[in-house]
Amino acid sequence: MWADAWRSLRKNPLFIISGILIIFIVVVALFPGLFTKQDPNYCTLDNSLGDPTAQHPFGFDFQGCDVYTRVVYGTRTSLMVGLASTILVVIIGTLIGSVAGFFGGWVDAVLSRLNDIFLALPILLGAIVVLQMFKTNGSIWKIVLVIALFGWVSTARIARGAVMEAKNLEFNTASTALGSTPVRNLFRHILPNSMAPIIVIGTTSLASYIVLEATLSFLGVGLPSSTVSWGGDISNAQTSLMTNPMVLFYPSAALAITVLSFIMLGDAVKDALDPKSRTA
Amino acid sequence: MTKNINENLVAMQRAHGPLLEVKDLAIDFTTDDKRAVHAVRSASFSVYPGQWVAIVGESGSGKSTSAMAVLGLLPGTGHVVGGSIKLDGQELTGLKQKDFDKLRGSRMGLVPQDPMSNLNPVWRIGTQVQESLKANGMDVAHEKRSALAKALAGAEVEVRGKDDETFLGSDKLPALMDAAKTALQEAGVSGEAYDQALAEFERDWVPGSETRWRVADSLVKAGLDEDKAWDIAKRYVTGSTMDDRIAGLLAEAGLPDAATRARQYPHEFSGGMRQRALIAIGLACRPDLLIADEPTSALDVTVQKKILDHLHMLTDELGTAVLFITHDLGLAAERAQHIVVMYKGQVVESGPSLEVLQHPQHPYTKRLVAAAPSLASQRIISAKERGQDAASLMEHHVVGEEKLEKSENIITVEHLTREFKLPRKKEMFKAVDDVSFSVKRGTTLAIVGESGSGKSTVANMVLKLLEPTSGKALYEGKDIASFKGKELLDFRRHVQPVFQNPYGSLDPMYSIFRSIEEPLRIHGIGDKTSRRKRVRELLDMVEMPESVMGRYPNELSGGQRQRIAIARAMALDPDVIVCDEAVSALDVLVQDQVLRLLNDLQAERGLSYLFITHDLAVVRQIADEVVVMQHGKLVEHATTDEVFDHPKMQYTRDLLDAIPGGKLQLGLD
Repeated sequence: MWADAWRSLRKNPLFIISGILIIFIVVVALFPGLFTKQDPNYCTLDNSLGDPTAQHPFGFDFQGCDVYTRVVYGTRTSLMVGLASTILVVIIGTLIGSVAGFFGGWVDAVLSRLNDIFLALPILLGAIVVLQMFKTNGSIWKIVLVIALFGWVSTARIARGAVMEAKNLEFNTASTALGSTPVRNLFRHILPNSMAPIIVIGTTSLASYIVLEATLSFLGVGLPSSTVSWGGDISNAQTSLMTNPMVLFYPSAALAITVLSFIMLGDAVKDALDPKSRTA
Repeated sequence: MTKNINENLVAMQRAHGPLLEVKDLAIDFTTDDKRAVHAVRSASFSVYPGQWVAIVGESGSGKSTSAMAVLGLLPGTGHVVGGSIKLDGQELTGLKQKDFDKLRGSRMGLVPQDPMSNLNPVWRIGTQVQESLKANGMDVAHEKRSALAKALAGAEVEVRGKDDETFLGSDKLPALMDAAKTALQEAGVSGEAYDQALAEFERDWVPGSETRWRVADSLVKAGLDEDKAWDIAKRYVTGSTMDDRIAGLLAEAGLPDAATRARQYPHEFSGGMRQRALIAIGLACRPDLLIADEPTSALDVTVQKKILDHLHMLTDELGTAVLFITHDLGLAAERAQHIVVMYKGQVVESGPSLEVLQHPQHPYTKRLVAAAPSLASQRIISAKERGQDAASLMEHHVVGEEKLEKSENIITVEHLTREFKLPRKKEMFKAVDDVSFSVKRGTTLAIVGESGSGKSTVANMVLKLLEPTSGKALYEGKDIASFKGKELLDFRRHVQPVFQNPYGSLDPMYSIFRSIEEPLRIHGIGDKTSRRKRVRELLDMVEMPESVMGRYPNELSGGQRQRIAIARAMALDPDVIVCDEAVSALDVLVQDQVLRLLNDLQAERGLSYLFITHDLAVVRQIADEVVVMQHGKLVEHATTDEVFDHPKMQYTRDLLDAIPGGKLQLGLD
């Protein structure tokens, strides 16, 4: 199945474009040194809001830091937060959702009410409250955990629905009659058939988690200012928005391109994973 | 007498000229990459007024597409690229949707295929009937006519003609009844004649359906003189309300208690009732042509018979021509005067029904006639004789006979009962009620019944997918319900299922190879290479090429998928295969192929089949013994020949009668 998905992905221009962009973004995140020789935290007020030059193609921000360098170094933070939270959210969400959907009954009732409770909490508000309590610790894992804490809800809902739908399909009965056990059915038939919507919501939420990190950093409860991130830079750029809007533009554009790439990837993967949409 | 009428009818039809004339029709669909796919090519047929014409063909033959082109309802990218469609001389190709709107409903009606999805679930049935009247301006006309009729009640104007003129209203019905009674007494009608007349009035005078002149006619028939009858009819039949008319239309379509039913929602209706509602909607505006697209293929045979009988009566009465689309040649021959056979988008044969059946010209029609189970069932003595030469046939037959006598029972069912809890109800629902039978080794036992008869529940208990409430199902003398762990796995290895829906029973994410390999994997049989070899053998056994191994279920046709499902069931070399409606979803020709395959496998490997089906016609082709179930109970159990030749129970006889085309005489042998 994966080989087929790969074959159909290879032919999808959406996938090729988003794939190239994402590979590029990952390379930037892993080796920022390849793209700039400067230190993102080397800032002199002499350069405050300075115009672009050959060495500093995006110019300088209010603090006199090189905008290009900061965009390059911010990639790693954003990507790490996005990927780590998505993986965590998909694992937790799929686990809770599929258990609820597969077993049904009181297990489903309990898990679904828990789900409803978390759904009632606005993720941004919840994140602010929780992050305020752990202000001292500045690592990105704090943000990842908070996002996972509030983010699993929608994935769990989708996983539950998908599992419930797949559970009633006839091939499960067929498989049981062939000698398969319910748990084997869950892993061999039901989960693979439920993965498509989960992967889609995973890739789209990856984008929204990157945005959420940016939002939290913008609000000042996210990453400490010592960590370079797009969100933090967008937040800082607001002071100079009127005088030099380009300072805001570059980190925002980087964020937008990254988010867009992942959404496109999600769409392409969805098409490829759904054999019904595949033509013979 | 009848012959005369028929001749007159034919003469009348010829004189009028065809109502619908389709000539050299060509329809293309455009694919995503802008290629044209020819769905219909040079199709020609005509429908005369009042005639039933059937288009027969398998799925994808273009029969529905042609009919939809007549209605201007081609789906998606379909469009007419050539030929002409004439309705009463008016050219329909190239008409705009707006022009079609004027024709649909009033000139052409449609009874769609699937009664489950063709009614809007959030609207009352009555509203949906009214909608079709409204869409054709008939509601205004109706109310207006009713008002006019009231004004004209005393006047000396005789309104008589097309029967949607002046209807009986429910408010006037009691008064009309009283007046009729008094008039009859005055006219000196008494005793039995009087009672009989009143009974007829009770039956015929349906508000919203019975018209003034018909009331007058029935009064005259009962013994009143013409003037008196018309006087009563004019005074009391003065038009009906919209609600009456809707109820009348539904009653005409054979829906009992129509006034109450009109206020219900589709989910409160059974499949057959929904189809009746759809017929009422299709005929609401009295179209000249009714297009019935497989109107009963989703229904049980006995319901199908009732509905088609009623539709036949109704269209005869109204003089409506019917273009009847079906995949069942037997049904077509039984219902229609004229048959058009379509194959791969082309009309390969057309002619009077019996002639097509008795002297099929085109090879495809010949195959169709030979394969049609409903027709075949009348001339095949035993299923085993199909397609085998005489020597092997005799040999096998003898072996079969002996087996019936001597062999032990491989599956035995004793007093099997299964109850289900119904939502919001206290008492339990008995899906299966005290059923006992046994399947002898190497033979086929068929369980026949309509939907809801509990036959699939029995199958599921035999497969240990459900536990019985009481009673036992035994495999090789051991209680199936008691199997656990290793024993269960062993049981699964020997008893395999083939399910109804070849689209649902294969995991769409699994390649064909993985699907067939799955049982081997589950039971830990062989290594990678030997499993691959086994899958190849199995594909060969079901006559599928090896090249399908890497493909996916969605790339195969229904018949091919069912072959894969059979290959999967055969993977573990089972003793028993439980076929739950295994061929019901397939086209006749494919169904025939699959039945042959099952039959050959049985002959080769001594398999035993428990064959669940609603189709008695299929039973004759495959089964040695038959169990007939109704409402969860076993009503008849005998050998196939006995059931067909000497059915003991009325219900079995009804089922046999309902086999379409079962009584047609074929000139084949």
